[in-house]
Amino acid sequence: MDKEQTPKIARRTTRSLASASTLDNALTEVTNCASPPAINHLIVEGDPDVDREGTPQIPRRTTRSLASASNSDNVATKVTSIDPPTINDLLVGGDPISLDDLISTFPGRRNQVLELVRLLGPLNSPILPLFVYGGPSTGKTSIILQLFRHLNRPLVYSSCSTCYNQRILFESILNSLFLHRKSAANGYSNAKRCERPSDFVNFLREALANLINNLKSNSEKSKSNKMEARGTGNMVYLVFDNFHLVREWDKSSTIVPFLFNLYDLLNIPELGLIFISSTSPDTYYANMGYVEPVPVFFPDYTEDNLHQIFLRNQANQKLYSSFLDVVLRPFCRITRQVDELFATFKSLFEKYCEPLSDNGVVPSEDMKRRLFSHLKPHIGSYLNEIFKVSFPPSLELETHKETKRKGNPKKLERYEEIEELEFHMSTCAKYLLISAFLASRNPATLDDSLFDSTGGSNSRKRKRKTSTKVQEQKQSAEEELLMKGPGTFPLERLLAIFQCIVSVAEDPSDEEDQRNDGLGIHGGNGGLMSDVLLQLSSLCNANFIIKGGSCAIEGSTRYRSAISEDLALKVARSLKFPLSKYLYRR
Amino acid sequence: MAPSSPIGDDLLPSSMAPQNIENNIKPFYVLHKASSQGKDRKSAGQGKKRRRKEAPSSLQSPKKHEGSIAEEHDGHHLHQLQFEAFCSFWSKIESTIKDVLRNINGSVFDEILQWVMSCFNATRSTGEPSFANSIRSFPVLNGSTTRQLFTGLVITKNMEFVDDILTFEELSLFLKHQGCHVGMLSSLDFSVKNGIAGCLKALLREFMDTTMDSADISNLASWYREQGNYNKPLVLIINDLERCSRTVLSDFIPMLSEWVNRVPMILIFGVLTTVDSLRNILPSHVLHHLCPCKFMLGSPTDRMDSIIEAVLLKHCAIFSIGYKVALFLRNNFLNKDGTLTSFIRALKIACMLHFSVEPLSLILSQALAEEDQEDGKFALPPDTVLKYVHELPSRARNQMADETGRNLAQGFSNLVSVKKLWSTAVLCLHQAGKYNRIRLLDLFCEALFLSKASDCHVGNGNDSGLPSSNSNQQRSIIQECGYISQIFRKVRDFPPEMLFQLVKSWEISTAGVVEIHDKLKTLQSSLRCEDGKRPTKSTDSKKEAARISLNSEKDSRILNSLVVTFMNDLVRSFMRPISCTPFHEISCFNDVEKLQLALTGDPRSRIQVDLLNSNKILQCSCCKKSSSALLPSMHDSSIMYSLAEEHGDLINLHDWFKSFKTIILDHKNKRKQKLKLSPHKRKRKDTNESSDPSEASIQARFCNAVTELQIIGLLRMPSKRRPDCVQRVAFGL
Amino acid sequence: MGRESHKMKALSLLRSRICDPKFIFKPLHDSPDSNYSKLKFMMSSSITEACNNSILLLGPRGSGKSAVLELVVGDLLVEYPDMISVIKLSGLLHSDDNCALKEVARQLCLEHQLQFSKAASFDDNSQFMVAMLKECGLAHKTIVFILDEFDLFAQGKQRLLYSLLDAMQSITSQAVVIGISCRMDADQLLEKRVRSRFSHRKLLFLPPSMEDSKSILEHVMSLPVDSSLPHDYAVEFNRKVQDILADRRFKETFNKYLNFDSSVKHLLRFLFCAVSCMDLQTGFLTCENFETAFSSIMRQPKLECLKNCSILELYILVCMKRLEVKEQTLCNFNSIMKEYKNVHDSFRTSDYYARNVCLKAFEHLINRELICFTDNRGHSSSVEFRPAKLLISSSELHQGLKAYHSCPAILHKLMDREG
Repeated sequence: MDKEQTPKIARRTTRSLASASTLDNALTEVTNCASPPAINHLIVEGDPDVDREGTPQIPRRTTRSLASASNSDNVATKVTSIDPPTINDLLVGGDPISLDDLISTFPGRRNQVLELVRLLGPLNSPILPLFVYGGPSTGKTSIILQLFRHLNRPLVYSSCSTCYNQRILFESILNSLFLHRKSAANGYSNAKRCERPSDFVNFLREALANLINNLKSNSEKSKSNKMEARGTGNMVYLVFDNFHLVREWDKSSTIVPFLFNLYDLLNIPELGLIFISSTSPDTYYANMGYVEPVPVFFPDYTEDNLHQIFLRNQANQKLYSSFLDVVLRPFCRITRQVDELFATFKSLFEKYCEPLSDNGVVPSEDMKRRLFSHLKPHIGSYLNEIFKVSFPPSLELETHKETKRKGNPKKLERYEEIEELEFHMSTCAKYLLISAFLASRNPATLDDSLFDSTGGSNSRKRKRKTSTKVQEQKQSAEEELLMKGPGTFPLERLLAIFQCIVSVAEDPSDEEDQRNDGLGIHGGNGGLMSDVLLQLSSLCNANFIIKGGSCAIEGSTRYRSAISEDLALKVARSLKFPLSKYLYRR
Repeated sequence: MAPSSPIGDDLLPSSMAPQNIENNIKPFYVLHKASSQGKDRKSAGQGKKRRRKEAPSSLQSPKKHEGSIAEEHDGHHLHQLQFEAFCSFWSKIESTIKDVLRNINGSVFDEILQWVMSCFNATRSTGEPSFANSIRSFPVLNGSTTRQLFTGLVITKNMEFVDDILTFEELSLFLKHQGCHVGMLSSLDFSVKNGIAGCLKALLREFMDTTMDSADISNLASWYREQGNYNKPLVLIINDLERCSRTVLSDFIPMLSEWVNRVPMILIFGVLTTVDSLRNILPSHVLHHLCPCKFMLGSPTDRMDSIIEAVLLKHCAIFSIGYKVALFLRNNFLNKDGTLTSFIRALKIACMLHFSVEPLSLILSQALAEEDQEDGKFALPPDTVLKYVHELPSRARNQMADETGRNLAQGFSNLVSVKKLWSTAVLCLHQAGKYNRIRLLDLFCEALFLSKASDCHVGNGNDSGLPSSNSNQQRSIIQECGYISQIFRKVRDFPPEMLFQLVKSWEISTAGVVEIHDKLKTLQSSLRCEDGKRPTKSTDSKKEAARISLNSEKDSRILNSLVVTFMNDLVRSFMRPISCTPFHEISCFNDVEKLQLALTGDPRSRIQVDLLNSNKILQCSCCKKSSSALLPSMHDSSIMYSLAEEHGDLINLHDWFKSFKTIILDHKNKRKQKLKLSPHKRKRKDTNESSDPSEASIQARFCNAVTELQIIGLLRMPSKRRPDCVQRVAFGL
Repeated sequence: MGRESHKMKALSLLRSRICDPKFIFKPLHDSPDSNYSKLKFMMSSSITEACNNSILLLGPRGSGKSAVLELVVGDLLVEYPDMISVIKLSGLLHSDDNCALKEVARQLCLEHQLQFSKAASFDDNSQFMVAMLKECGLAHKTIVFILDEFDLFAQGKQRLLYSLLDAMQSITSQAVVIGISCRMDADQLLEKRVRSRFSHRKLLFLPPSMEDSKSILEHVMSLPVDSSLPHDYAVEFNRKVQDILADRRFKETFNKYLNFDSSVKHLLRFLFCAVSCMDLQTGFLTCENFETAFSSIMRQPKLECLKNCSILELYILVCMKRLEVKEQTLCNFNSIMKEYKNVHDSFRTSDYYARNVCLKAFEHLINRELICFTDNRGHSSSVEFRPAKLLISSSELHQGLKAYHSCPAILHKLMDREG
């Protein structure tokens, strides 16, 4: 292993040299660095830029700039060809960061950072498995990564949402442990192919053994070079992010206990396990069979934490803080998740700045007041809007015009929604949709009273005449029904209602038939009936009607309408159909 | 339009040569025989003679009885010509349609492109991660807390998805052409069955054409960082969002957003209905990964209008459809399925039927060819032309003295000019009607209706009993029926500046047409002098006129009345019925039944009808005579079905079997003598039933028939609760 | 610098001790009646007189079964150098018989420098195993099968166990099967044919008593006086540890902790946290370290969750609670919204939000796993109709609301007065 390790180091160092000098003689370096003397001579000046903070940063930065600034193909390919994966790919990399900077970049996370540092302990000290948990976007992942950047220890990160089943999880871990890099050359294949936990454990043993030997040899060398200050140490840490997702895999019968027991199974003291989950440990008790790891809790940010967080990297601190003073409190009553607030605040801040000429000004008190009064109307609407859709500039203008005309954009939107249907639907489909809505809204027992020959209009009156007591329980029953949501119905019932509706809608529809009997707009009942099933299928595709069961012809399939009431009303209005008359309610 | 093409192919033989249909539908004849029968009962059979019988004017042509060899031969030649003519003609129409649609989408596409580019630059501006970082497994550490995906919601305002498949394909091509990596996934890739793995596989297949065993998004990352892929934006189009399974989507989107710094994917969703559907599909924590932007495609009705304008009014103004056909198409569009695809398909069918029915329609394509200076290769031998000219009813009606091809030629040109006038008039009206959202489709139908109503002095009395087309009569029509009168009413109280706009637009649109243009000139001059009446010497610059007309109310009234009179004039003088000009059959297709037949198959009811009178279809001698009573010799399933008619929604199996058995067993003796009568034609049944059929065999046949009905989809097998009853599926449909 | 380094060294020494089970269980095995000596006696006897044997080690998790076994096996390997070959299986990995036999074959090949073929079928492997057993028997070499998580092997067809124990019936073979399980009824899980072939020797492992755990703590925490560490520092350190052990406050935390779970693993976690809390300035352990360790391990996740909730989410929780109290038949988002509206109407609360916002909060609660859906038909129906239920008791909710500082008073009122 050492034999094939040393050339790696040599090549890495040559990269650094190459970055300092030009590329082509880097290649020559690669060629002549095979001989041992060259190696340690290279190592001596080669290691700093990888392993130590301070002055020798310059060459690395040049590599960065070289790699990133040059978008042309040849250099990109050169970069890939130049550095084969080394142990340093397991380091987070980036410029080293001091603990204080780290703490200052994460407001309100001081305790967690310190606790983690303590638990990770000094160099080369073994560690029990850690279980880091806390709500979404509370800085778990980024703090861990930054921490490893600070400690400069190798870690193998794998997110269980990206690795959506155990095979991919295993293979990605093995890829990074075997220092294997996918590329077009190897057809983006994995280092090893393994699906079973047992194979995984064997491979893992092997890989870890190699890796730890490398690390040991490295640290030996670095000791020999008297720079243990920032040695990478002998420990390797496996980080499992989004661990809560694992519970859904194969119903977590085996995989969760396996991963929790991985430490005991391997018992390699140089291995550290870190689980990052967004749910607390007690949600894993469902499948026992492991001993709990050491918990580290990340609470949600408090309000003033959020204040600091949003204030970070803002151009005009004063202005933004005044903005936050206005906005933060009401929004925190709804949610305290950063990523959710982020988008809202961005657009809201633009609104806030609208009256300002330049956003560089330091707001005085009355200006704050003015801005607030300007913002006040919008806050409410933003509070109640969870998903804001922006427009491309052209449409933007129109909406602005309408806004000028009608005032509040949100109100405008709702208004429009009530007004007319935004999308095209054939008449047949509309009737079908309405009948589906009725079918899943009304109890089946009422159908014959609603849709009798006289089109239900006077059946309503009949229902009026029942005693109040009956009314009461009817109402309660009806509310129950509403709560339970749309009921299901067989195809036959749907068609029956459909026929009733169509017939009803076509006898009394006087004025428009009057107007265009010359044109004979209505194709007549048969015309509408002709390919109802086709329409039904397309309605199912549009998620308006949800179809349960399998094939429509075989065993009784039941349907359920999934449309909201106002959509149904809209459709009814577009047909001039008296929907409310048929709804079962007082 | 691509989706409509197959129809042409499979419908063409059915009208040209039905017999080979007979061949390929042997196996399931209960299902198909009927329809094919229907086809060659109604639509053109073999040989042009029958077709002449079907020709829109059902007049008894003198020489329809002798069929000489020569006739047949040149009939075949004629078919050839007609077919070629149709192909060339339709190809032209299709190309125009394509252009129209492309123009409609173009602006939206440009917007989308701009948006994509801006998003791409935004992602770039945050600073791209270095090579090593970008292919690592852990997220890039830059200060940006946001992990949102740029998402474009392209809203196709149509519940039906068919029209937009093509749109999205064009979009992807367009973006590719503009230098993006474009991947296109459909709802099939987001099925619950395959789960996230399936959709990732599809994703990778879209972008990197290597197929790997384990679909992992890190592959995509390393691919994107390789040779210079990463200075192009990545665009992923999912064209029908509503159908995707929400679970897979809500796994997929967070995954993308986790990688957004390394794989800056830009999503484009095709949303059929409204934005709310997105809210319904995705849970909120997924929605927060998207930063959406909305794009609107043209609504299907707008597209429809522009297609009508291009195809039926402007471009190939020669071919037109009659009132009934137009109405049928309109209703089909509004009531049945609101897809352009089916509309265009219908148009194609109409066009082809027209060509196959009307031999003189070759002239159309010839004329079209002459329009763009090709050689008129669809020339007919003059004598045949003459023959057909004889048969033309219109020609028969208006007594023309001489029978030479000359008057055919000039009559045809005259027809074309009339058509042009007519369509320009309609266009003008539509321009007026645009201000209060009057659909060209409706207007078109109504205009046709006018012409039809005023058509009757030529005296084919089959349509509405309006006596004659003098002006006030037509007036009354206008008053009474909708759109045109609406337009008039609206125009009466236009503000003047809108009037001037209107006139301007007319000036543009009527540029080619002399007559109307002159009238317009006079109108404009009169308007000008109306302005001139004003105290201030104002030119016809609009805002001037507007400012003044505000204070002088009655002047603007005068202007309005002028314009209205002009429009009235248009209607009265130029919207003259085409169907009273000679040779209108050449250009105008006016046969709804065939179209209806070809378009709305309505299979279920057909099946049921055919089952009820199967003996009409399979004309076997055995059950020829009493078609009403059920005979044992009839096909089992038809017997069963007609028995089932007596039951309601639920059919008791036992009773059913009993009645079936009685039918089978009764009047054996009749069959005996019938066998004596016709021993050579005995059906399969009779052979094994020469003796009294055993109980078992009857049961077997019963079960067989029941399963057959079930397979057809008329029955549903007994449920747990009612094991003795079968239920009818979609009873009364 | 030097001082820091030796404190650092002490720290990492302690940590490595804690992470190394062998070290922990060293002191336990001197007494003759300890599990260690029993197990060692059994195994060594069965090795020396070349007979088959099968033993079950039972005991709660983290009571050092496998650690003791490790020790024994290690010692035996030293005593009888080339008479033992050890095969280790774990129920977590090899509960599937097929891959278990594969693994056995692999390890056997590894032991005896043979060529292992991945493609070998189940029968090939089992035949290979039987053959190897015979061979080893002839060579007077005992194969020790260690089956960790023994109960997991017992689920399924138990083909592995059967073939293994069946092979051991023959005279020639010479093997010891050791099952480790935390289920006391592990042997009841076996099929009849397997159980009949299983000799029911059991060793029971009990969690250490308070004194034992104290002694363990002392054993782990006291630094070696004669080592690279400076002598006076080590002495001082040990004295401090003694003080801590004597301390009253420490005693009660320790008792509290061990009453919760007195297994060794549990104890070790405690020690680990305490040690990691040790600050390197002084370089000595204090009582506070143990206190903080206690608080950091003994967490109340539900209450923390409640602390994380926003006001709106609390409202929803309270509404659900009220529905529960009213014994309404179904409780889904709609009914919750109805309740929420009623509350708003009756009390004019300041925060009344739109439906979709509440839906978002509802989904948050689902993600926090404070509530869950009671039906399992996930993607079919939309969220607001699926019935849901609370996952926290009302007392927890009370406690949480009390602990929540900026909690509106109205919520307390709603909690207290029902209906």
